[in-house]
Amino acid sequence: MTTREFDGITLERVREHVWEIPREGDMRVPARVLASESLLEQIGDDKTLQQLKNATHLPGMTGHAVCMPDGHQGYGFPVGGVGATDAKTGCISPGAVGYDINCGVRMMRTNLTYDDVRGHEEELVEALFANVPSGLGGGGIVEGDRDTVEAVLSRGVDWALEEGWAVPDDLEHCEDEGRRPDADPDAVSQKAKDRGKNQLGSLGSGNHFLEVQRVTDVYREDVADAYGLEPDQVVVLIHCGSRGLGHQTCTDYLRKIEKRHGDLLAELPDKELAAAPAGSELAEAYYGAMCACINFAWVNRQLIMHRVRQVFERVFDRSWESMDMHLLYDVAHNIAKKEVHEVGGDPAGGGDADREERELYVHRKGATRAFPAGHPEVPTAYRDVGQPIIIPGSMGAGSYVLRGGEASMDLTFGSTAHGAGRLMSRTQAKNEFWGETVRDELRDQQHVYVKAQSGATVAEEAPGVYKDVDEVVRVSDELGIGDKVARTYPVCNIKG
Amino acid sequence: MSFELRPHTADVAVAASGESLGETFAAVADGLAAATCDEIPETGERFSLSVRAEGLEALLFDYLDQLIYERDVRGVLPVANEATVREADGAWVIEASARGVPFADVTARDVKAVTYSEMRVERTDDGWEAYVVLDV
Repeated sequence: MTTREFDGITLERVREHVWEIPREGDMRVPARVLASESLLEQIGDDKTLQQLKNATHLPGMTGHAVCMPDGHQGYGFPVGGVGATDAKTGCISPGAVGYDINCGVRMMRTNLTYDDVRGHEEELVEALFANVPSGLGGGGIVEGDRDTVEAVLSRGVDWALEEGWAVPDDLEHCEDEGRRPDADPDAVSQKAKDRGKNQLGSLGSGNHFLEVQRVTDVYREDVADAYGLEPDQVVVLIHCGSRGLGHQTCTDYLRKIEKRHGDLLAELPDKELAAAPAGSELAEAYYGAMCACINFAWVNRQLIMHRVRQVFERVFDRSWESMDMHLLYDVAHNIAKKEVHEVGGDPAGGGDADREERELYVHRKGATRAFPAGHPEVPTAYRDVGQPIIIPGSMGAGSYVLRGGEASMDLTFGSTAHGAGRLMSRTQAKNEFWGETVRDELRDQQHVYVKAQSGATVAEEAPGVYKDVDEVVRVSDELGIGDKVARTYPVCNIKG
Repeated sequence: MSFELRPHTADVAVAASGESLGETFAAVADGLAAATCDEIPETGERFSLSVRAEGLEALLFDYLDQLIYERDVRGVLPVANEATVREADGAWVIEASARGVPFADVTARDVKAVTYSEMRVERTDDGWEAYVVLDV
């Protein structure tokens, strides 16, 4: 058997791209890393594997804790981690969702071609930067009062539709039609609402961005047709989350759970994994609050998308409807959802125990849901071909559109990667790159127009800071968890 | 009292030390500001805050969380932090102040939250040391 060892953690090769950390000590389940040899080298280079092992200690863990091909070190639970716990006898862990609840990506189509946009890049990037709030204290698109925040938390994109920030088509192309039925705004603290009210419709900063892209390659024509994608077409990608409201909600529940369920916490190897037992008051409250934050994040991305439509109208002097600017899909990266999965046995590992359907909290932290064709939770528009998945690359590399793969339900509880994954710290990035140089080289050599709040942000997000997104997508496609549909390449990028 | 930003693949870590707990915690808070922006102007008014928690790590967590909250609702970046920490009735209390630099005066990025991951608060021969990973 082929094995690899990193810092005393041994992985056994199950088959190509599947590595297993066998169960030992207090691990409740084994852990798996889905990676090629080269990606595994990078994953083994920081604390990702230890954090993945720690995640297996959560009560009710089912199957495996799984690290996606873009996994890297985070806090508590690794980024790129998927962990499913039993929804009746297990637990739910805010740290396994992350602070930025429903941080995610949405893609909007247009009927413009790259030729239509060429020559307008400077104007477009300036207009987007001026009209989409970003950075710290940049305000929002909507100045939310108390009632607005409550409505957003409970009704999600339905609220945006009523207020003229969405059209019915947007809801039909969003997961859950843009509204989580389990949302409980009363479970979100006033402190969180205070932080969210001035940030409704804002990018934030860090790795969040808005990018105009062109489609460069189509790999599966039938699926691309269903998604409305074709070569040379211009699309828009929006990456952001639930802003301070979501961050505060995670913080609030981490502390509440620590105080109420200290006995459970004492059994966990990392305080950041604090978890509420399924069925407890705090598990229910956190789930309701998290679902409300999911709604807030969807509305946040919806407001930005609608503002982008208005910017395009001004720059190209046409109505957004005539440019066919419609939502392709919106995916979440940081989420825990009650889902029914078939568990038991292990088809991938050759096990033959009976399989049964169970309701699980599927924690996806820095991972994307990837349901295959035919799944009832895939929106009707895409049910025959599978759920769209959007994998953003760095601002100097391609991004990908995938579809949920047939093997995803067995291997990853219906999940795949969420991006390229960081390779180096921001400190190292600033030592190795100079923002203005990165910006000029992207413009002059790759025809990518970047505008950011500061040069430091550009350096910290330089293409060289990220893993090879092509390799991440190759592994996802070969494993059959997310099938490659199309590739896009940046034209304009704004960063907070 | 001093702090240092330490590399972390996805986030930023702050290592700080001081002669007293208050100095050390304030140094971590200065590290939080430094993780947010590179150059800090001399503007802004001071404001006070007080936090109570059940243990030292919890106190440091809640103190930094409160600063992030104040930042978002006041629209200022808390810098030049000062703090004293004391034990009272089986709990820990921090009384602190910061100068709030208006967002308009500074180019800053969002530090989303404080984490418990790898957090350490330890007594040393010279005083105290603390280590905190921040989610950016």
